[in-house]
Amino acid sequence: MRGRPKWLPSGRFALGAALVCVPLALALFGPLFAGEPGPRATSFTLGGGHWLGTDFVGRDVWRQVLFGGRPVVVVALTATALAYLVALPVGLISALTRRTWLEEVLMRPLDVLLAVPSLLMILLVASVFSPGAAGLALLVALVNIPDAARIVRAAAADVASRPAVEALRMQGESWWRLAVGHVGRSILRPLAADAGVRLTGVLYLVATAAFLGIGVAPDAADWAVMVDRNRTGLFVQPWAVVVPALLIVTLTMGCNLLFDALLSTGRDVATERYVVRRGVGVRDRVKEPRP
Amino acid sequence: MSGLGSWAARRLLLGGAQTVAVVVLVFALTEALPGDAAVALAGDQPDPARIAAIREALDLDRPAYERLADWATGLLHADFGNSLTSGRPVSSYISDAFGPTLLLAGLTVALLVPVGVGLGVLAARYEGRFVDRLVSSVTLGVYAVPEFAFGVLLVTVFALRLDWLPPTAVGYGTDLLGHPAALVLPVLVLLSRPVCSLSRLVRAGMIDALASPYVAQARRYGIPGARVRYAHALPNAMAPAAQQLARTVDWLLCGVIVVEALFVIPGLGTVLMNAVAERDVPVVQGLAVIFGVITVVLNLGADLVAHRFAPRAEVAA
Amino acid sequence: MSESAAVAEIEELTVEVGGRRIVDGVSLRVLPGRVTALVGASGSGKTTTGRALLGEFPSGARVTGFVRVDEALVGYVPQHPAAVLNPARRVGALLYDIARGRVRELPRRARRAAVREHVLNALAMAQLPDGSRLLRRFPHQLSGGQQQRVVLAQALLLGARVVVADEPTTGQDALTKRRVVDELAAVAARGIGVVLLSHDLETVRALAHEVLVMRDGRVVESGPTERVWLAPSHPWTRELLAEQPPLRGDTPATSNSYTVLRVRDLRARHRDVEVLHTPELVLRSGECLAVLGRSGSGKTTLARCMAGLHRGYEGEVLLDGVTLPPSLRDRTRAQLATVQYVFQDARASFDERRPVLDQVARTAVRLRGVPPREARGEAAEVLNSLGLADELAARSPARLSGGELQRAALARALLARPRVLVCDEITSGLDTVTRRGILDLLAGLLRDRDDLSLVLITHDLDTARLASRIAVLDAGEVVEQGSAEDILTAPTHPFTVSLTEKRLVEKRRDQIQPSSHA
Repeated sequence: MRGRPKWLPSGRFALGAALVCVPLALALFGPLFAGEPGPRATSFTLGGGHWLGTDFVGRDVWRQVLFGGRPVVVVALTATALAYLVALPVGLISALTRRTWLEEVLMRPLDVLLAVPSLLMILLVASVFSPGAAGLALLVALVNIPDAARIVRAAAADVASRPAVEALRMQGESWWRLAVGHVGRSILRPLAADAGVRLTGVLYLVATAAFLGIGVAPDAADWAVMVDRNRTGLFVQPWAVVVPALLIVTLTMGCNLLFDALLSTGRDVATERYVVRRGVGVRDRVKEPRP
Repeated sequence: MSGLGSWAARRLLLGGAQTVAVVVLVFALTEALPGDAAVALAGDQPDPARIAAIREALDLDRPAYERLADWATGLLHADFGNSLTSGRPVSSYISDAFGPTLLLAGLTVALLVPVGVGLGVLAARYEGRFVDRLVSSVTLGVYAVPEFAFGVLLVTVFALRLDWLPPTAVGYGTDLLGHPAALVLPVLVLLSRPVCSLSRLVRAGMIDALASPYVAQARRYGIPGARVRYAHALPNAMAPAAQQLARTVDWLLCGVIVVEALFVIPGLGTVLMNAVAERDVPVVQGLAVIFGVITVVLNLGADLVAHRFAPRAEVAA
Repeated sequence: MSESAAVAEIEELTVEVGGRRIVDGVSLRVLPGRVTALVGASGSGKTTTGRALLGEFPSGARVTGFVRVDEALVGYVPQHPAAVLNPARRVGALLYDIARGRVRELPRRARRAAVREHVLNALAMAQLPDGSRLLRRFPHQLSGGQQQRVVLAQALLLGARVVVADEPTTGQDALTKRRVVDELAAVAARGIGVVLLSHDLETVRALAHEVLVMRDGRVVESGPTERVWLAPSHPWTRELLAEQPPLRGDTPATSNSYTVLRVRDLRARHRDVEVLHTPELVLRSGECLAVLGRSGSGKTTLARCMAGLHRGYEGEVLLDGVTLPPSLRDRTRAQLATVQYVFQDARASFDERRPVLDQVARTAVRLRGVPPREARGEAAEVLNSLGLADELAARSPARLSGGELQRAALARALLARPRVLVCDEITSGLDTVTRRGILDLLAGLLRDRDDLSLVLITHDLDTARLASRIAVLDAGEVVEQGSAEDILTAPTHPFTVSLTEKRLVEKRRDQIQPSSHA
């Protein structure tokens, strides 16, 4: 028997989980262990009671690291949730309505919005407002709505066009039971897959925006901001840059590996597949004793 | 063929609508400024002279639709207005910075297709074996990593520890071609995400195609393996990949902005970031229109290519 | 014919997957210019046996036995020719590649022209004369018949001595069947051995010289076609070949029958293309009306208009003289209950997550206001009467067979106590024995329920026999309607004549005279 070894999905799962647990634990529980801020030291020093040295304004890097994960993770989670809050009803309604105009009204503007690159959109707004963390979450959610709504709509429309839904209509089932009970439930799986991908995308966007100085104070305790601000001292004190950068890398990488592993288990249901085996049992008499 | 014609017409129409929408959206953002736009733009130390100058430069006393009409007509003649801070025409900013950005993006796209498709085909060919597991895991992991974090780590290793490559492009100005070593890391960083997504799509498409009845038929009839893979299976794997290439443009724009900031390359991204920091609205608007229209056009092109590869599938228009 | 004349042979082939024998000791000889048929219900192992000739086995299978094929490769004609045509390449791509393998010995310069000649030749042999134009097209730009011939041309181009045809006529209408039978007969006439895997007995009888009847992986009976047909020795063969009993329900008593459903001046569109125009069609109470037509004739659209599933039409569908809203979402519960619809794909019409019984019971709850508990009891009763025991009804749809699900789908519709039941191709895709079971069931319903009228949408003449009246649909128009007897025995419209001409299909094998014997 040849096929995907059993350990592969779980291996990827373990790798993803291992990668994600350190940055996630730091982001969630780091602030609890940070303690009181010490006095400021000189910029970009190593040692001197500072485990990872000091940053560009002489703060302890380790303390900044402990604080810096939370904004990234919280903003990303909020933005993902907000995006679905709008995308889910819009997608479901436009897939299930038979009023073409309603579908057009709901989906066409999103099609148009989809054309604007997401980071550009955020930069545009940032050039006239100064969004805080909440503003950034809103913005990131906003740029994710068109795509999320399209995916919800496509998945729902696929389910809605199947005979099962027509059969439910034939039985006189109510709109709610149809939309939420059947279609909503049927699209949970593709939706979960999309949510995983989307959260990683949102993490990317939030971190990148912060790196570019959007939605954050210039001296904020935020891993992305730390990478940006401490770059000038890279040759003197690399830890102030490398540690937060590594944390962002492991967080996003682990997230993606983890979601992929979670969603691929059970997806590869063995379908009957014919394989060509010329020479095995073919053109040859195979002498095997019958059991 | 009327189906294709009407599809292409609908898609072009959407492209046109998107272009108009980008222009209006970009303009509307200045209108969305709270209170008096001139005061808001003047920054933290509003001095009356500066406010008056901004009001003058932006024609804020005239009604919005007139300004939109003027601005849009200007765009048609490549007239993007003048910078608020320097007074120079926005078009000169764009023409100065266009070279480095075009070089970066062009190099990236030129490398992206062969590398991405090659990795995808390689992984699909050895599905489930070590090569596939390696390629799949690495592409899956790197796919999600923000360019700035990846780039900083590369700089630390290759510029700081090993001293093989320059850490930034500082001092080379716009003459990047003269210093190819300075281009290696930026292009590598720019490639990281799109290559991963492209190769993953090609891999999935190839695996589907290789398991399909039509490929089985070709094999059954004695067509050599390489010919089956590249002539019969690959074209089917290209349709989703071509669509993804269009979305890659979005990433490439994000990437260009980040990479130019990270490696201090004086391209359009740097100009945009500076303008954002200085609230130089005409420059931001001009660049946004350029970026937006490029995205719309490339999306359109990619959809048309995808349509060629999957003539049956009706690409959402 | 001598022992060595066989172009392919299988001896004592056993294929085991996961400890289950799906083919068990099958032996088979394929002779040039002869058609050998493997007959059996789905799951009988005929496909696995046929694909063994191609050197293909289910992945992970344990294979013992012996498969021998003469020199050249084996051609393959699948049930759906479109599946083996590459959607992203022009039709010519694979043909040229196959031909290239045949001109290796030629000097490099001569190859190009030779390849083209080979390809055009093969297309001409497969009855595709304007080959050069066809080669530039994509598969989706060809008709179903052209696709089938292109696939045949591939096999001919290959120089195959054996062609395996897998269910080539299943689910096809009479005209298409006849065309496929003709084409396969022409292939055999070239001295090629044809292996026909089919549960379409009509085609097998028309085409095959030799029949092997399979059940549960074993060959239960084999021999010359006429012998097996006239004197089947195995009980399973007898059951399989049993003549259709006269199914016809009683013609409704004319005195108290009235018009239930009337279709008036119906013009249905898909997007902007008109696909159906029916000036007048009437369904009387207690009768069974068959709507007979080929695929693409608009018969399913007609059914869906009646049921309220297709609302893109002008004109009227009247129930008891009252116009029905085009969309079922606008129909009242009473209207919904009165006109019920049974889907072609029973499996797709069930929610895979809920037990069948629960889903069936919902009809009574929603359309007749029966309390849930009683509805379940009633549903179980109806399911039982249709041959589904409680134990089966409690399962999820995935654990029922196609035939069982179709019964459950019927039960779901019947629970509404409909007066009009629209059945859309509900027997296509089922094997002979299962299909007969469903048709018997429908005949029984017609007998037992005086107030029930059936609309039977079908491409199959045997199924249409159940009806008391038949309307023949071609290219969106009703070309002929009348009593079933008249239509089936004395059709007047040329299209109906061609559809009902069964004689043409029969005895095709006698015309196969191999031009060259090996």
